[in-house]
Amino acid sequence: MTIALKKLSLTVNGKAVDPVDVPDTMMMQDFLYEYLNLTGARMGCGQGICHACTVIVENDDGTLAEMRTCITGAHWFEGRKVRTIEGHAKRDASGAITQLSPVQQAFIEHFSFQCGYCTPGFVTGATVLLDELKRQPVARADLERAISEALDKHICRCTGYVRYYEAVRDVILNTPGLIKA
Amino acid sequence: MNKRTVLWTAIVLALLALLVLGCVFFGLFEKSVVAKDVDQPLSPEQMKTLAVRGAYVAVAADCYACHTAKGGAPWAGGLPFTTPFGTIYATNISPDKEHGIGNWTRAEFHRAVRDGVGKGDTHLYPAMPYASYRLMTAEDVDAVYAYLMSRPPMKVANKPNDLNFPFNIRRVLTFWNLVNLPADMPPLDAARLEIWNRGRYVVDALGHCGECHTPRNIMQGMKASEYLKGAVLEGVVAPDITKDGLARMGFDPVLLPAFMKSGISAQGAMTNQMFEVVHFSTQYMTGEDLAALSAYLFDLDKLPDKPASPTQPKPVAVAPELATAARGNYLALCSGCHGIEGQGIPHVVVPLSTNASLRLASARNLIHTVLNGIPGQHFPGLERMQPMPGFKDQLDDRQVADLANWLRAEWGGETPSAKAEDVAAIRRDE
Repeated sequence: MTIALKKLSLTVNGKAVDPVDVPDTMMMQDFLYEYLNLTGARMGCGQGICHACTVIVENDDGTLAEMRTCITGAHWFEGRKVRTIEGHAKRDASGAITQLSPVQQAFIEHFSFQCGYCTPGFVTGATVLLDELKRQPVARADLERAISEALDKHICRCTGYVRYYEAVRDVILNTPGLIKA
Repeated sequence: MNKRTVLWTAIVLALLALLVLGCVFFGLFEKSVVAKDVDQPLSPEQMKTLAVRGAYVAVAADCYACHTAKGGAPWAGGLPFTTPFGTIYATNISPDKEHGIGNWTRAEFHRAVRDGVGKGDTHLYPAMPYASYRLMTAEDVDAVYAYLMSRPPMKVANKPNDLNFPFNIRRVLTFWNLVNLPADMPPLDAARLEIWNRGRYVVDALGHCGECHTPRNIMQGMKASEYLKGAVLEGVVAPDITKDGLARMGFDPVLLPAFMKSGISAQGAMTNQMFEVVHFSTQYMTGEDLAALSAYLFDLDKLPDKPASPTQPKPVAVAPELATAARGNYLALCSGCHGIEGQGIPHVVVPLSTNASLRLASARNLIHTVLNGIPGQHFPGLERMQPMPGFKDQLDDRQVADLANWLRAEWGGETPSAKAEDVAAIRRDE
């Protein structure tokens, strides 16, 4: 079998990736690892179940979507804007991290993770949830359910989820405008 | 003829017509297939012996699936059925004397199951497949009766049906019964071996396969002329399961019993209502009954020893631009699980290259699945299939149609027929 190559160009973490020849059957996860050296999106199950591999797609209308990279072809991302776990924190000119994102900071403060394998997925999922709540705030009484619905698909084998949930709830309650008055 | 005579004739004819309708309405034309001798109650010893076999007959007839609500008490009914005429709820058939069938006599149970007329001359709705159970033997009905009476009674009240006029009047079923009820089971076909005859009984009476797989006429009765030729049900095709239909999907007389047992095959996994059928019924059927079912559907008197080597349909050529676009979407969104060559992943996801949905005459099931996905399912023997996500937010109607057409042409050998409008209709749940 010969490998058919296809040009792929996209934006990753705010930087344009010039057209590169990528096998037309390659999954996004492999592209991120092998071509861009971005290894933060974790390969877990490889079947789209555990969601450790997710990245954010920044849609043209400003909304964010979560995509699984282990089961989505690299070429699906053609022309799209992608944010991987490496693109959440603020960095200085040299690339050193100067400030973590609110979700990342909260996960650290709450000791949310142990082995950390699932953490990139949880950061991605929680960030997308925060973005949704900015557009559509939720009633305080529905907050637990909203967090549950957003993060249920993410699998964690160490912590029992509680500290992830508490961290996300903290960020939401401390960010103005996410809870309906 | 003067005006007066015409008027009188009309009045007399109208009265006659009313009389006939009245006779039908009050059940004068109803034909019972229940023999008189069931008026004799069964002895406690008979009940005890029969109950053991009744457990199996009830499983083969899949009574539990409908007569137990999701998460509800066993045999206490409550499962809703949405019909064009309104919503019907399955009833409590546990032996509770107040809410269930605890006070029903043997004869009353027979008449309910086989004639569709319950205790107190109350007509059942044909959501209860009495048009099929009518073909059950008196012995099997006795066995189910004895088994149900041996279950713990459940004090759960029946939910009132919510049906439109005139369907809320149960007696109108007399008209339906007159037209749609078959005669008794035809006698054993002496020209066929026992396996075929047993298979006919398993398919037509116990399994009531035709209730879903035979198209329905305008009165919602089974169309005998299109016996088992497939019908659309809850938005998906219950496929043609005649010999030709099964062969078209890639089934083989030896493989079919295994599929009915496990729910998984190279042709795909059981989904929708058939998943429930496997879950509650066919996985527990004996090897003999499953073999008989297959022999009858394939119209054989003996199953071959080995399955025939599978044949792959010849791909149909499609326009290159369609193939490029559809293959691109396949590689982007489908191949991560279903494989670049459509091979699937054992115990995780079904193969597509040999999938029945790609070979059916209609692309409906494939389109429905691409749009809506399939929930994760646990199959017999710790086997399972992971959930499939729906792609209705990622793909537009044209892209789904192209994808379905390309897949079906490439691996199913089907000429492209799906249009964007078809996808739009299925998306609207039509």
